[in-house]
Amino acid sequence: MKKVAIIMALLFATGEAMSFCGFYVAKAGAKMFNNKSEVILVRDGTKSVITMSNDFKGDVKDFAMVVPVPEILRERDIKVVDRYLFDQLDAYSAPRLVEYYDPAPCSQYRKYKNLEDKSSRANTMILKEEISVVEDDETGVTIEAKYTIGEYDILILSAKESDGLKTWLTTNGYAIPAKAERVLEPYIKSNMKFFVVKVNLEKKKQSNFNYLRPIQITFNSPKFMLPIRLGMANSNGAQDMIVYAFTKAGRVEAANYRTIEMPTARKIPTFVKQKFEQFYFDAFEKAYGNEGKKAVFLEYAWNVTPTFRGMKCDPCVGPPPLTNQLLQAGVDWASSGEQVYFSRLHVRYTESKFPQDLQFVVTPNRTNYQARYVLTHPAPGQYDCEKGKAYMESLKQRRDLELSELEVLTDWNTAKYTKYVSEGTDYVNEKQDAWPVGGKSPNGGGGNNTPWGFLLLMTGIVATGGLYYLRNRSQQID
Amino acid sequence: MRNLIKPALEHLKDPRYFQIFYLSLFLSYGIFELGWNANIPGFIAVILVSLLTQMVFSFFLTKNYASWKSALITALGLCLLLKSNQWEILALGGFLAIASKFVFKVKGKHLFNPANFGIIVTILITGEAWISPGQWGSSPVLLYFIGAAALMILFKVGRIDTSLIFLVTLFVLDIIYSQIYLGWEWSVFAHKATNGTLLLYAFFMITDPVTTPNHIKGRVIWSVLLGIISFVLMSQFYIHTAPIWVLFFLAPLTAFMDRKYQFERFQWLNLSVVGRGPIIEKKNQLNNSNTIKLKQEI
Repeated sequence: MKKVAIIMALLFATGEAMSFCGFYVAKAGAKMFNNKSEVILVRDGTKSVITMSNDFKGDVKDFAMVVPVPEILRERDIKVVDRYLFDQLDAYSAPRLVEYYDPAPCSQYRKYKNLEDKSSRANTMILKEEISVVEDDETGVTIEAKYTIGEYDILILSAKESDGLKTWLTTNGYAIPAKAERVLEPYIKSNMKFFVVKVNLEKKKQSNFNYLRPIQITFNSPKFMLPIRLGMANSNGAQDMIVYAFTKAGRVEAANYRTIEMPTARKIPTFVKQKFEQFYFDAFEKAYGNEGKKAVFLEYAWNVTPTFRGMKCDPCVGPPPLTNQLLQAGVDWASSGEQVYFSRLHVRYTESKFPQDLQFVVTPNRTNYQARYVLTHPAPGQYDCEKGKAYMESLKQRRDLELSELEVLTDWNTAKYTKYVSEGTDYVNEKQDAWPVGGKSPNGGGGNNTPWGFLLLMTGIVATGGLYYLRNRSQQID
Repeated sequence: MRNLIKPALEHLKDPRYFQIFYLSLFLSYGIFELGWNANIPGFIAVILVSLLTQMVFSFFLTKNYASWKSALITALGLCLLLKSNQWEILALGGFLAIASKFVFKVKGKHLFNPANFGIIVTILITGEAWISPGQWGSSPVLLYFIGAAALMILFKVGRIDTSLIFLVTLFVLDIIYSQIYLGWEWSVFAHKATNGTLLLYAFFMITDPVTTPNHIKGRVIWSVLLGIISFVLMSQFYIHTAPIWVLFFLAPLTAFMDRKYQFERFQWLNLSVVGRGPIIEKKNQLNNSNTIKLKQEI
């Protein structure tokens, strides 16, 4: 069967929607990962380009961001880029739903159609008032550099001790969360600088953007990491982060946490089409729980070299990034003909499960991967021929499997969908819309699935081995 | 019946059987719990190629076929640490690992830890293989099982010292730097110290009695150096797989230590008959001989 796929991406009208409240409530899907930040990471040798997107939703004068950086950044190392870049990457690499149609068993009619996915959110620190720059000997804080770039006022601070930095930030109007203080110390001691950003209201008025654009920084350091610990001070619950990483060699994976591929190429019931966002939200939550809430998930990995003639996605939910977009993202070798390898990682982190900052490694793993879920619609037309009857049977079996797959992936209670199997072919007439979706089984939600059985087995084996060893020993002594 | 079973059990006293058993257990944990199913052809290739290489070299050089157990241990070690998408590359790792035992020899003792040599050389020459330092995750459960399994074997072999000295050196330095100086919370240390890759390396790779210095003094210096250099590379240069690289480049040090502090060479064969740690017992009797036949105490 020839597989043709036309994909429709459910994208958000980003900027405004993210900056001003109300949108989340209107669309169920937008709630999805609403404590989410997005980062583009480009790594070449020891050079890193990090682009941070935020969906700050309050008054821009309250916006502030503090990021530990390994060195004093020069003015040309800081840029402001278009938010569109993130939306483009998100649309291109998001988990995807694909629809296929069975060929009619009794006639030769075929039809293909395809689907959807969704987008993102960010999270940042909050500034209470305007910064009035003071150089303060008592606090031990030095302003190493001061720039105005785009709509932002930027300071690069170095500090001698966390109390001083905290005092400085507080007296200059930054509301530092209490929890942040204890994690400032390690960054100061490891000689990191603080990249402090607030909005320049004058410049903001002049700009045509009604949202805050992402900030991009470039530096050289053996450190290939994201200082997530500081961000945790800001939030009590779990935070979602999407990392779009580009390298010359291959996939990027976490160095100090497990990196897992999301389950992919699973056949799921056709009614999931209406609630694909919720399906993926729950599937992610389940996978996250299964991995003890302490793994990093791979959602996409592909060779996106502009000159690469092969497929850039299969199917594409969004257009692959173009050379100028890659250059904008900081992939400065994009036009040189060298390989550009893209990975999309999804991390949901909490303080207890992610005690250490996220560190990454570049691997030579260039296997393409995508989180992809498949719907197969029943064949249209009549099933009155011999082949048609056999097809009916196989369809019922397949639907049964699709339901089990759905339950395994999401923990949804599929008991109420038995009609989906028994009525099978009725759904040719697009009746799927009538199905209620998303009921969760009482034990759903993807808890911390410790492999108790395995642990028990291991304990038994170790104990038996130990006893056997001791027995041998005592026999020898005898 | 008892007479039939007893010799079989005697045979099983070779600690390498335990080692094979535990490493296979870790590999099945990887396959069934951590989802390494896709790599199964690679694992099979490594194991077969390693055993085959061992047999071929044995046939032409030593005519001693008893080392198949060591070859299997090396192969399992490669399966647990080396990653590649192509089974051919993993198989190459297996070949290089075993071949290194026969090619790089100093005074009848192979210079490189075979699995370590296989991993490093495969990464360097193919560029298509890598180590995933985070693939085992971090968990106290890993510490417990890897540690418990290793202790059982290593008490038998008498080489628990390298593991413990290396880990203590690394941990003490890390505590001084990250916890006391930088001021990170203890959860950060706990996370780093229970990394599965580090523990497997510490308990199963650097404990190889054949490629560690023969004399206890040599082993102490060697393990401390391994710990210090690994710490510096990990904490200052962010080389997450530093211990594995350091072990490779420290290989000549073993030969140097063996010349400086002479002591009898470790032999699996005798050990398998004796059934428990011979080194400690022999220590007082002999100091300057190489490769002596160990006294049997059956």
